[in-house]
Amino acid sequence: MSGQLQFWSGVAAFAVAGLLVGESYLYHTLILFFIWTIVVVGWDLLLGYVGIFSFAQLVFFAAGAYATGMLSINLDVPSVAALVLGGVTVALLGLLIGLPCLRLRGEYVALFTFAVHLALPSILIQGRSVGTGGSTGLMGIPPMEVFGKTIHTIDKVPWYYLTLAAAAITVYAVYFVIVPGRLGKAFVMLRDSEEFAKSLGVNDYKYKLIAFTLSALMTGIAGGLYGQYLGVVTPKILGNELFLMAMLMLSIGGLGRFPGVILGAFIITVGNEILRDAGQLRLLALGVCVVLAILLVPNGIIHLRERGWGHAMRWWKA
Amino acid sequence: MQYVEVLISGIAQGAVYCVFAMGLSLVYGTARVLNFAHGSFFMVGAYGAWVLSDGYLGLNYAVMLTVLVPMLFLTGVVLERAIIRPLRWGRNWKMTTMMVTLGLAFLIDNLNLIVFGPEDKLLMPLFEGSVEVAGLAFSYQTFLVLFSAVLIVVCLELFLHRTRMGNAMRAVSQDMDGASMVGINVNQVFGYTFGLSVVLAGVAGVMLAPVYLISPLGGWAPFLKAFVIVVFGGLGSTRGVLYSAFILGIIEAFVIFEIGATWTMPVWLLTLLVVLMFRPQGLLGVWAR
Repeated sequence: MSGQLQFWSGVAAFAVAGLLVGESYLYHTLILFFIWTIVVVGWDLLLGYVGIFSFAQLVFFAAGAYATGMLSINLDVPSVAALVLGGVTVALLGLLIGLPCLRLRGEYVALFTFAVHLALPSILIQGRSVGTGGSTGLMGIPPMEVFGKTIHTIDKVPWYYLTLAAAAITVYAVYFVIVPGRLGKAFVMLRDSEEFAKSLGVNDYKYKLIAFTLSALMTGIAGGLYGQYLGVVTPKILGNELFLMAMLMLSIGGLGRFPGVILGAFIITVGNEILRDAGQLRLLALGVCVVLAILLVPNGIIHLRERGWGHAMRWWKA
Repeated sequence: MQYVEVLISGIAQGAVYCVFAMGLSLVYGTARVLNFAHGSFFMVGAYGAWVLSDGYLGLNYAVMLTVLVPMLFLTGVVLERAIIRPLRWGRNWKMTTMMVTLGLAFLIDNLNLIVFGPEDKLLMPLFEGSVEVAGLAFSYQTFLVLFSAVLIVVCLELFLHRTRMGNAMRAVSQDMDGASMVGINVNQVFGYTFGLSVVLAGVAGVMLAPVYLISPLGGWAPFLKAFVIVVFGGLGSTRGVLYSAFILGIIEAFVIFEIGATWTMPVWLLTLLVVLMFRPQGLLGVWAR
């Protein structure tokens, strides 16, 4: 139960901190951290627990932002309904990508999903006629509206608690409901020994599809929140920067163990805001960090406790 | 017949794709590593050639290649030693090697962007002008590319089947444990394979640079094409790559001729889907163990 305790005290600490922060820029950083937490937790479910080499995480994120934005701009759907419908749309998209993709093995899945990632920006730029807004993207996504009260981008405190709640629900659902439950047992078994799992009657395709769709759903909602919070979304959302950041969160944090990727998300969102002024060098630095992080702490900082820091220094002698 | 012209340009294109995709396939086949930085090495080759010739040093093609090829090979060997081998056989190593090569790809791209800037660079073709055969016009460059790509592919096939190192590479790709049991230095084979694959990527970059311009992110489109080719032929099978590169190259030429270049990828993916429906492992592939 120590994990539960860690989780609730973490949520409580952030809830209290929300009263004390007081500075808008700090709120902004933490709101981004909460949104990214959902994204990397969804990714961790696939990579760390089911062992699906998916690189389509930002596809779901972007699709969520676009679907939510397009629903409320083009079809005048109220913001909360747009968020939910957007998430469902992305879950369907995940199912659609997963149907052919998850029949493939290991590395093929990685290539397939990454191909989807690389193809999406040009589709979004070409899709002006269906309302994606071309290369300028969607402007003026209507802000969130709860109980008749509109929450604009500048209303940091409501956004802070809204995203905190969303992140807390996602983290709880994944690490304390799905993973220890029946689904999670099937997932981990597929990751550790696919043949053995199949021989015991685990339908690998079905469980992989479930995981893929669930991950798409939560990531899509994170994307929708991101779009509503910032009010703007452009095809740049699929650029190198966010992809590198998300990957760095996973590789620094460590896959398949709570709270690995969440620690990673915290370190990277805060670190990225500190480096905001470094310009083009920041992307290079992010790339260097990804390579170094994987080499020095291949399993993330979450696994350092058991292996010791000395292990990190011995990479060359492998 | 105009179709002959289209067919020949398709074969030339297919030959270059073959050189490029072969590197990706070799590394996957022997070392079981999916190298996401392959497209970036393509650009490294093109930038390297540009710096050595038109950009700064003004060397001619022969001298440029004798300098460039060993450098590319060395880059590959060093990178394999420094960032792939420490991860091999570790926990989740297939995942970590994929992520580290993806990180490397972004690192190289951004380094290129900072060093060379976002403007496209142009590498001059070796020969200008064109020749007329039976009423059809062919540029010398097309012939040169076709000739050198075919030469490289033939040399590669000879290398893989006739030399000690080539046999060792094929042995490792068939059965790693068995290869190491009969005294093959598996780590050395991994290093050389990686070096060879960087050379193939870089040389493909040099061959295509006069046609497509050189830009920091220009490697991703060829990488995607190489991916389709390799999956079509079967991951890890060099013979499969040989056939699929030419098939897809010719399909591409006809697609461009009939309906336009933007349709290349959709048609390729459709072809791929049809093939994968009947042979999920690709034309000649075996499932990865």
